[in-house]
Amino acid sequence: MQQAEIIAYAERCFGGEPASCTYACPFRLDIRTFLERVSRGKWKQAYKTFRNATVFPGVAAALCSAPCRGRCQREALGDEPLNLSAIENAVIRFAPDKRGEQYVLPAKKGSVAVVGAGLAGLAVALGLAQKKYSVTVFEKENEWGGKLRANEKFSYFEEDINNQFAFDKPEFRFNTEIKSLENLEEFDAVFVASGKNGLDFGLSRTFDKKLRNSENPRIFFGGGIVGEDAIHSLASAPDSARMLEVFLQTGKASATYGSYDKRDCGHYVEHFGVEKKPLVLPASGGEYSEAEAKAEAARCMQCDCRKCLANCEMLEKFKKLPKKIASEVYTDIGAAPPYSTHMITRETYSCLDCGYCGAVCPEGVNVGEILHLSRVQRAEDGVAPAALHDFWLREMTHAATDAGYVYAKNDKCEYLFFPGCQLGAMEPEHVIKSYEFLENNYNCGIFLGCCGAPAYWAGRMDLFGENISNIRDIWGKSGKPALVIACATCERMFKETLPEIQVISIYELMEKSKIQQLSIINYPLSIVFDPCSAREDSAMKTAVRSLAASSGIALEELENPGKCCGNGGHIRAANRKLFEEMSKNRAEESPLPYIVYCANCRDVFDERGKECLHILDILFGLKPGIAPLIGEKRRNRMEVKLKMQEKLEGFSKENPQNSIELVIEAVLAEEIDRKLIGEDEMREAIEKAEKSGVKFIDSENIIQCSLVKGSLTYWVRYKSLGNGKFEIKNAYYHRMRIAKED
Amino acid sequence: MDWKCAKCDIVLKLSKVQFTYLGNTFSHEVPVCPKCGEVFIPPELAEGRMAEVEEQLEDK
Repeated sequence: MQQAEIIAYAERCFGGEPASCTYACPFRLDIRTFLERVSRGKWKQAYKTFRNATVFPGVAAALCSAPCRGRCQREALGDEPLNLSAIENAVIRFAPDKRGEQYVLPAKKGSVAVVGAGLAGLAVALGLAQKKYSVTVFEKENEWGGKLRANEKFSYFEEDINNQFAFDKPEFRFNTEIKSLENLEEFDAVFVASGKNGLDFGLSRTFDKKLRNSENPRIFFGGGIVGEDAIHSLASAPDSARMLEVFLQTGKASATYGSYDKRDCGHYVEHFGVEKKPLVLPASGGEYSEAEAKAEAARCMQCDCRKCLANCEMLEKFKKLPKKIASEVYTDIGAAPPYSTHMITRETYSCLDCGYCGAVCPEGVNVGEILHLSRVQRAEDGVAPAALHDFWLREMTHAATDAGYVYAKNDKCEYLFFPGCQLGAMEPEHVIKSYEFLENNYNCGIFLGCCGAPAYWAGRMDLFGENISNIRDIWGKSGKPALVIACATCERMFKETLPEIQVISIYELMEKSKIQQLSIINYPLSIVFDPCSAREDSAMKTAVRSLAASSGIALEELENPGKCCGNGGHIRAANRKLFEEMSKNRAEESPLPYIVYCANCRDVFDERGKECLHILDILFGLKPGIAPLIGEKRRNRMEVKLKMQEKLEGFSKENPQNSIELVIEAVLAEEIDRKLIGEDEMREAIEKAEKSGVKFIDSENIIQCSLVKGSLTYWVRYKSLGNGKFEIKNAYYHRMRIAKED
Repeated sequence: MDWKCAKCDIVLKLSKVQFTYLGNTFSHEVPVCPKCGEVFIPPELAEGRMAEVEEQLEDK
């Protein structure tokens, strides 16, 4: 996706749009807000909301046929729609002050003649008078009201009209029929509302419904003369008044200044778990009491789509709908510091990019795609906080280069096993035994490397592209085999960027060839926790369940599967707190133990103390201990490489021995690991300090030294135990640079 | 504060030091070796005020 596309993409989201009832309302009344206010007994505020939309609330409430009822989503639950008319009447009765709004504004330049004092003419005259324009109403009869006077409720309507004109009354010239526009030359604009068969001065056939004027741009129309009934005369009045105002200010009615297009809205939201509530009937048999009106209004479900927010801790935390995020990303991409600044760093780098929001969205809007664009653009523009992804990029380099390895027999194989950067790091036997299975069943080579997800999530598409083209080259040189993956993220990356390569999961191959179970294990009722990247891959999901079941494990399903464990998007450095919250929530989705088939899920759940096995632990009869820390993961990767090299080529280079030995107390080691500081960094810092002598020492012979690596400055506190042994006391880092170091 | 610069064998003294992050430059008083100028950052500072400022600058 490109910058130009994100706004249109997010437009598909209808969160925050008026509800379906409002689309049906001629007045576009914000029914959600109106009913919410009524439900709290806020009569004054509810009256104001209603009055601002309808101009003459008493008239509107009495005459409106309530088409909103046909679009009330209560009906989808089998309930009666909300009784809007009765609620509106209650609001008018209980409002403490029914007078029109009193605006404190200076008088404005511009005079308008209104022809006709029927409903349309009165409504437009009121709107302009409240804005302090000079308004004169000409009426051929000796009183106002037009056709409304014939209504049996006219005395009630007149009270309403008088109330609204309480503070701003235009000049009324009764018994004055306008027969020619020449009589109105002195006015800057004219609003003709002369009624159904009234005089139109030969212009109504050129009436522009949107601009509300005619071929004579100074002459505006509304009401019966242009075919509007009473309700629509009233409903169109605010638009007419707005257009007239624009004309007075600019000499031209402008379409850009209109209300939004009234389109038919098909957006019904899901009301999962919402209770049915019967229509409130007035005990008196007549009108609602205050309590009854409140109870009826409380039946409103406040229909608005918030599915993505309800299903993602990140979106819920920032409380931004996709449209808002898209607009901020759009602006952010164009930001040019120091004149404008980047506003949404935290959101951008807090997204797991797991696609769950898109999966639950009725329109399929995936916020991750929008925020990924932000990461890419920031990296390209050199304004990405590099420290947020520094660690994972280094891990990627380690996996793809130091621990990288390729073997394809005779450069031609049917399958090429790509276990990914984390499988062997978590447990070398997962890779070694998986490969044994593959070579026993297929002509299969091995490719130890990284799919590039760390670069993708860092927005470093340059590094990602290099890595992908390297994978494409190796695949080509290996006889274009199918890639066998063990990690759903690798699959996602390949499917998106290497469509020419056939990709299959090892779990499907194992299931297909009915891998001999080493043993039926005694493991309790469990949940298969699917990695987010496998959400759309039913073959992989089914294979894992089948493998677990044939190992004798009874399985249950999560209520909402497919959410990310927390590792996606590599948000830990950007938003540790959110990562903790998300991983805790995922671990608590069920009290049952999890079976995972993503090494990262295993790592995250282990950190949370959640009982969890990798499916390969089950299949190979492994009993894993706690998940390894960063240093051990790197050693594990190297171990896999050397063992494979030895097995396949009969030799291996010795694993380089570390020159110094580190001693770290277990709790401290875990604490440092959570900061994403590895043994390698600590060792390098100590080696440098011991060699150069640049270090600090306190009275108890505790030493402190630093190391600048990538975008971080690491600090290590340690004690020398002699013989090249050092006890780590603390390790930490900061992202800012000490200026002299540059 | 009893930290010493190991190389110069001198007790550190508070001194103004310049820091840079994401194109911003600012200064703060931190322990420094009065002789060689080597800067010492204690954990409370790195993981406290410095981390706060880093986050603010990232969000700016």
